[in-house]
Amino acid sequence: MEHEPRVGVFVCSCGTNIGGVVNVQEVAEYAKTIPHVKHADYNLYTCSEAGLTAIKESVKKHNLNRVVVASCTPRTHEPLFRAACKEAGLNPYLFEMANIREHDSWVHPHESQKATQKAKDIVRMAVAKAALLEPQTEPEVEVKGSSLVVGAGVAGMTAALSMANQGFQVNLIEKEKEPGGMAQKLYKLYPTLVDASEVIEPLTEGVKSHKNIELATSTILKEVSGYVGNFSIVLTGPEGDRELKVGTIIVAPGSSNYTPPKGLYEYGLNDHVITQREFDEKLRKGEIGEPERIVMIQCVGARKGEIRPSELEAFPKSDTAELLRKILKARKDEGWPYCSRICCMNTIKNAILIKERSPKTDVVVLFGDLRVYKEYEDFYRKARDLEVRFIRHIEEARPEIVQTSEGKLQVMAYDALYGMEVNFPAEWVVLSTPLIPSKDEIMLARMLKIPIATDGFLMEAHLKLRPVDTNVDGIFIAGTVSGPKDVSESIISGEAAAARASILMGNGKVKTEAITAVVDEEQCIGCGLCEEICPYGAPKIEEGKSKIREILCRGCGSCAAECPKRAITMRHYRDDQILAQVKALMIPESSKEVAQ
Amino acid sequence: MVEERAREKAGSEFEPLIVAYCCNWCSYAGADLAGTSRFEYPTNIRIVRIMCTGRMDPTLVLETLRIGADGVLIAGCHPGDCHYQKGNFMMEKRFDYLKKAVKNVGIEPERVRLEWISASEGGKWAALVREMTEEIKQLGPSPFRHMQIPKKTDAMIDAFKSQRLRWVVGRSQIRVEIDEGKYRQTVDAIMRDEIERHMMTGALKEKGPLTAEELAQLTGLQPSKIVQHLIALRKDGKVSEAGEKNNQYLYQLV
Repeated sequence: MEHEPRVGVFVCSCGTNIGGVVNVQEVAEYAKTIPHVKHADYNLYTCSEAGLTAIKESVKKHNLNRVVVASCTPRTHEPLFRAACKEAGLNPYLFEMANIREHDSWVHPHESQKATQKAKDIVRMAVAKAALLEPQTEPEVEVKGSSLVVGAGVAGMTAALSMANQGFQVNLIEKEKEPGGMAQKLYKLYPTLVDASEVIEPLTEGVKSHKNIELATSTILKEVSGYVGNFSIVLTGPEGDRELKVGTIIVAPGSSNYTPPKGLYEYGLNDHVITQREFDEKLRKGEIGEPERIVMIQCVGARKGEIRPSELEAFPKSDTAELLRKILKARKDEGWPYCSRICCMNTIKNAILIKERSPKTDVVVLFGDLRVYKEYEDFYRKARDLEVRFIRHIEEARPEIVQTSEGKLQVMAYDALYGMEVNFPAEWVVLSTPLIPSKDEIMLARMLKIPIATDGFLMEAHLKLRPVDTNVDGIFIAGTVSGPKDVSESIISGEAAAARASILMGNGKVKTEAITAVVDEEQCIGCGLCEEICPYGAPKIEEGKSKIREILCRGCGSCAAECPKRAITMRHYRDDQILAQVKALMIPESSKEVAQ
Repeated sequence: MVEERAREKAGSEFEPLIVAYCCNWCSYAGADLAGTSRFEYPTNIRIVRIMCTGRMDPTLVLETLRIGADGVLIAGCHPGDCHYQKGNFMMEKRFDYLKKAVKNVGIEPERVRLEWISASEGGKWAALVREMTEEIKQLGPSPFRHMQIPKKTDAMIDAFKSQRLRWVVGRSQIRVEIDEGKYRQTVDAIMRDEIERHMMTGALKEKGPLTAEELAQLTGLQPSKIVQHLIALRKDGKVSEAGEKNNQYLYQLV
């Protein structure tokens, strides 16, 4: 260390949140006796303008080179205090927080004395770490103004057009021969009953003719390397392999439709038992006619319990793709655990379509729960007004279909409202099946290192706060790849992913993680274990030594924990920085009665 | 707290000190939520924030015990929730070995715990701290620093710093081609070996050249084991012969 650590400690009372339990004055006085502490004070709200000014002024006045704030959780206020340090001319990483609110005053409100003691411990731990901190920099990388969109369905095409219209270069790839995705196989869309083609055609025309979009069909992603701002891509298409470089990637490969196993509700045994998707197709072709009765069954293969823990345990835990392959296999017969959310509206839509064409047809919907949200409640009422019959069964007594000797279909169900068996013949039985993850999408996720959730869909960086980001910087998700969505929701997610990618491409540069791994090359024997265990592919053995590509490193520290030679350490979380906190806890350095 | 820890004061009730390593994304946030929700728990715990449980080198846990903690809690995200995809799985795997090693040298394995606490489990966090504090109170002060057999705990820490044990534990993080149960047995055997060998090298470091018989007495290991280890340590270039004493070879550290 070039300079002797000069630590300033600022103890926050947080109104009475901390001060009501912890004696903050005593803590500040005590802090002055901790080695390296050159200044300590307390105030009512350290995060207030006055509090921040006090930090900045003290840094100058006392020539401080480290700052410790004893207040709340760093998870919310660390950025604020780091910014104050930066304004005071300090590297923001020369700051440490002591959490004496969430972890102390709030959980020990009735033990004022002990809580004050604990606050002193926590401050001493923070000072011990602060004294060992080093300045860190967040490397800045250039972001190319181009994007790869995987999947030319509604979401992918929407994203591609949005980015292309902003002037970014887009490579749009589609594994099928034509763009359009699942939506092009649909007939009418709820709740407006417009033709799906009215949505799809402008999109396909758009992506085919836009000067900034290069559409490649019958093409898949073969390889990806690189990092945010500068991904190297290899595509495989009819003309062989092709390489390109892009700044961002949007993953929108869609999902599949669950196909019931043969024999479930006589599916696959009788031509008149079909899925809602197949029914769409027949409606479009006019093959349904004016039958006497159509029975629709909801949640076929959906909402079937949880994924069993034993299923999860049976597989090597680090290998998500393997796990998912097994889940997919098991699910084929058992169905999926979640609500696919679009099926209820889809069923109501098809029921209305039939009723409008053939009012005399008796349309019966058998359901366990019916989930119609927003304006779809009106849509449901419309169906009721058209005399679609909704019959609720209980989950334990699902409907049964039998084929009579003449090949006719007989439906038996238990009407939970009337508390009695109902039994009627039907010309058509239509099964509502969920959208499910596809194998292709799982393999894609694996290649891109995007985590897969336990339901098999791709995982967002944060379910609520970052719904189209992934854990991999520069890669975004759109459409049903992250869970069932209808067409309008797919459009929304496509627009959202494009907006997130455009922020990066528009800025042209991005800051990356400062807390990364460092290799001591003298210690390193180039065994390659780090290369194999890193989830981000950051370490690479070159000339017999491990080299960490900082841009890829996210700072988890797994390589440091496993390195056989203990040659890897983490910035900002070195072994000595971690253990200094424990040591500070055990032997109060300032004490005159230091034992041992 | 300025004076030596209260637990060492005569007459007062034993107040354990527990160090908790919480991952930034789930468990630290879970502990925050316990605060926000005003769930009360004993004051015996001190939290060290780390980015991921994947960072927890077993030696950090053992050093924490050596420094003097009565218990160590490692808290991370639930399986599948890791911010870094699989750091918690890696911790779980090495924790198995860590726990076995702790037991092997005669420390109550309850003193080290690995738990999953999500950002939404403030109540679970508070309950866990209550439970663990109570458990360690029952166990009493950690014997870690006062083990009878010379440097047995030090030998364990050295074993977890040794390239050989780290290599096999590290390899277990990657899909192993052979049967997982067999692999575990191999790692367990290597772990025991390494602890024993470090007990021997520890004794040689402290006392200077010793005979196999003296080594057996000092470490409490069977003479046949000592001979086996001496052969391996010689091949590794870690010990060499250093003359004779009472018609027996003396061994010294290289």
